[in-house]
Amino acid sequence: MSALLASSIVQTVLVGAALLGAISGMLGAFAVLRQQSLLGDALSHAALPGVCLGFLVAGGRDLGSILAGAFFTGALAALVMQVIVRRTTLKTDAALGIVLSVFFAVGVVALTHIQGQGGAASAGLMTFLFGQAAAILRSDLWIMGAGGLAALALVLAFWKEFKLVSFDANFARAQGLPVAWIEGALTVMVAFAIVIGLQLVGVVLMVALLIAPAAAARQWTNALGPMVVLSAALGAVSGALGALISASARGLATGPVVVLIATAFVLISMLAAPRRGLVWQGLAARAMRARISEGRVLTALQGLAQAHGDTAYKAERGMLNTALGAAPHAMRIDALERRGLIQQVTHPPETTPHWELTQAGHEEARALSGNAADKDRNLS
Amino acid sequence: MRDDSLHEPQFALHVEDLTVSYGADPALWDIDLDIPPGVMAAIVGPNGSGKSTLLKTALGLVRPVAGHVRFLGRPVEQMRGKIGYVPQRHSVDWDFPTTARDVVEMGLYRKIGWFRRPGAADLARAIDALRELGMQDYADRQISQLSGGQQQRVFIARALVQDAPILILDEPMAGVDAATEAVIIDLLHRLRAQGRTIIVVHHDLTTVQSYFDWLVMMNVRIIAQGPVAQTYTPDNLRATYGRQLAMIAQPGAVE
Amino acid sequence: MIDAYFASIPAMILTTGILVGASGALLGSFLVLRGNSMLTDAISHSIVLGIILVWLLTGHLTGPFQILGAAVTGLVTVALSEALARSGLVKMDAAIGLIFPALFATGVILISLNARNVHIDVDTVLLGEIGFVWLHTLTLGGLRVPVAVATLGAVFAVNLAFVLAFWKELKLTTFDAGLAAALGLFPGVLHYAVLTLTSVTAVAAFDAVGAVLFIAFVIVPPATAYLLTRRLWLMVVMAVAFSVLSCVTGYILAVQWNVSIGGMMAAMTGLWFALALLLAPGRGLMSQALRRSSERLDHDCRTLVAHLYTHQNSPDMPEENTRRALTDHLRWPESRARAAILRALDRDLIERRDGLLALRPKGQAVAEGIFARHDRPLMGLD
Repeated sequence: MSALLASSIVQTVLVGAALLGAISGMLGAFAVLRQQSLLGDALSHAALPGVCLGFLVAGGRDLGSILAGAFFTGALAALVMQVIVRRTTLKTDAALGIVLSVFFAVGVVALTHIQGQGGAASAGLMTFLFGQAAAILRSDLWIMGAGGLAALALVLAFWKEFKLVSFDANFARAQGLPVAWIEGALTVMVAFAIVIGLQLVGVVLMVALLIAPAAAARQWTNALGPMVVLSAALGAVSGALGALISASARGLATGPVVVLIATAFVLISMLAAPRRGLVWQGLAARAMRARISEGRVLTALQGLAQAHGDTAYKAERGMLNTALGAAPHAMRIDALERRGLIQQVTHPPETTPHWELTQAGHEEARALSGNAADKDRNLS
Repeated sequence: MRDDSLHEPQFALHVEDLTVSYGADPALWDIDLDIPPGVMAAIVGPNGSGKSTLLKTALGLVRPVAGHVRFLGRPVEQMRGKIGYVPQRHSVDWDFPTTARDVVEMGLYRKIGWFRRPGAADLARAIDALRELGMQDYADRQISQLSGGQQQRVFIARALVQDAPILILDEPMAGVDAATEAVIIDLLHRLRAQGRTIIVVHHDLTTVQSYFDWLVMMNVRIIAQGPVAQTYTPDNLRATYGRQLAMIAQPGAVE
Repeated sequence: MIDAYFASIPAMILTTGILVGASGALLGSFLVLRGNSMLTDAISHSIVLGIILVWLLTGHLTGPFQILGAAVTGLVTVALSEALARSGLVKMDAAIGLIFPALFATGVILISLNARNVHIDVDTVLLGEIGFVWLHTLTLGGLRVPVAVATLGAVFAVNLAFVLAFWKELKLTTFDAGLAAALGLFPGVLHYAVLTLTSVTAVAAFDAVGAVLFIAFVIVPPATAYLLTRRLWLMVVMAVAFSVLSCVTGYILAVQWNVSIGGMMAAMTGLWFALALLLAPGRGLMSQALRRSSERLDHDCRTLVAHLYTHQNSPDMPEENTRRALTDHLRWPESRARAAILRALDRDLIERRDGLLALRPKGQAVAEGIFARHDRPLMGLD
């Protein structure tokens, strides 16, 4: 492993992949919050004809012109989508699907055209479908680094405007903010993230590198700043890990590996995140149900005590069953005993176990039924 | 008449011959409307009568086919900082990762200006605005953890923090609890007492008389407008709501 | 004759394309109208996982059970996305964008790992190999028929039968799911039936057009037809027709230029869409632009009439019902006001009376018509 890390090629791949992941994680957070997750899918598919265009113009696999081409057709796709949504009654999702599939088809045609002309370099274009981290060159890092810094500077400079427009564009417009420009800047930056992510993940799976880190980060925090930072960090880790794995295993495209790692982060986050996570929610719901059924046992005992005018009234299980309409779970009885609210006693001459409320149990039951009575009053 | 000169400055809101259409269907037809300063005005009308469209057009969010709007004699572009706007609560995603305090501070973003962050003074103002609505204890609460009424109060605090002479609220009482409605109305009455103008799109006819002193009744065009006492009449209600009226309010309550 | 048809490579390639296009367009019409277009994207990607899983389990890529098995992943994707969105942890669009890439990525990795044995190339996962469909044949009633043609023929027949049998129900659930539910039609079941058939079609079409190009066949021709008609049956027929047209023209051009046949067919669906978007009578961009100037004049004319109607016989009539009011109050430029007045005079909607603009009986009727339109829905309530 350390030998692998010492290799300069692997270092390049690692740094590049982490950079790409961080940038798409940061910008993807805004895309997800603006509920434009699938726009990323359409734009990344639409980058394919641009990749081929850049290749044809430059006459080879020159990253600069390929990225420029991808950016150009991506922007064109966004524009076509706008026209379809604004000028026809077709829904947004139809516009997404049309742009995605037609641009991709044109890209496939261009790709096969380039391959038909032959040339060794043309084979490299296929890596843009699923990404190939090993194709990242040291000189590429400068382009990515500069672009990443520019995006970071924009996000920091316009932080509060981006936040406001993502949350409530109408209010921002009423405040006189140039909302169309701000939204345009966000879309252009997402297109930029896609374009530089293509090398790593490829056009088909790029959408996941935008959505997954953001969706995972959202579960751990309730504030935008930490969410964006965490999303960038998760993107970087997914990218770096994915690149490392795919570089060390022959014949494994980078895109799918990165996507699976990012998805694993989402899965863990959705299960384990405090408060929002499903495990947490499940435990909270269970605790709530337990409290309710324990409360019912207490008030049943209290009711029996009141009915018999004896605060130390001892009830056996059968009587509780009748009062509650069902047998109380043994665990609930145990829990109540542990909490010191009821105690098990014998009631000679009978030998079966009986229960009575303790002092604390009486108070708790009074509080519970008092609350219930209050609620009834409020309702009526 | 040139745009930068004052036009009808005696009205808080002056709308003249305003027509708005979405596609071929007109949403507002030839609206003429004047709301004097210092009143608390309700805009009422059936669903689809263009109440929200009227507000959005007045605020410059929707472009009219014809007509113009003035606030205190000036076009809305010159009045941006002086109009507080409370959109409908359901127009945003309340699962957005932000706190109540943060949302209120958004009302100050314009004043803070480009490239600068909210400071301690801005935070203090946001907390003050939340306190006005009894929400100071929830300042750091994530907004999805607030009840519907609390969310509405945060929205109003965001407009309040602007300290604007004119407040425009789109259905602030829709789907809120009775306690929140009381807090909101109490606050709006205090703001009116300070001489501010409050304009509210309202849906509950039964409370029009007790809450408001000015009334605009509309159904795509203006049916009636003026002080509530003169405007809230059975004839006007019938003209506004048609036969829908029976389902909304008891005619007896009107007469 | 029939022998010659099934032995002809171009005929088989074209037939395959047309069957994919027609099967997709039949279902796509309902997906587009219901706003579920992007579910096609999710389904067509994730069936890749189903196909490789079925291959790992059974060792076969074709056959009715294999197709159904692989199609299950499409449904699982939809169900998982909907469940994730219901959990409230993410929104529906993000849920779709999380589930299908994960399943697709798993499928691609499994294919890479088994590349030596399974006859799927990772790149053809996306693009298909419609040019080679004639290589795999089976014998059907004494004829050697390409497997893809036989399979897709069966799928097309099932899709067609489904759409014809449930036409009424599909129509109702597409336009008013609430009413359909009230009538006991189970819109949810029908929705999943459409998605099931979409998954099956995607699997059957996989060898020919791959995961991504399939989306073009399902969404684009129905969207094109939608720009041209609002009648459902006509839309479905036109969608199928555009699919067929795309396949034929795409094939010819692909052979001409020596490029991907499937890619060219899918790209052609985009060409017809672009043409419809530009030229569709009434709804196209061109006629929108042409109409805008004349419509704006009409609209101004109606605004003028409504303005006069609102103010006639009111105290401010002498001020409002004048040409000056149009420039001062409506904020129209002089030329716009003049054009509107001239058109209204031309059409006998208004006249000049005592120095004011006044409504003629026809104009009065137009204004009443404008305002009456808004009373109608209210009347309908009781």
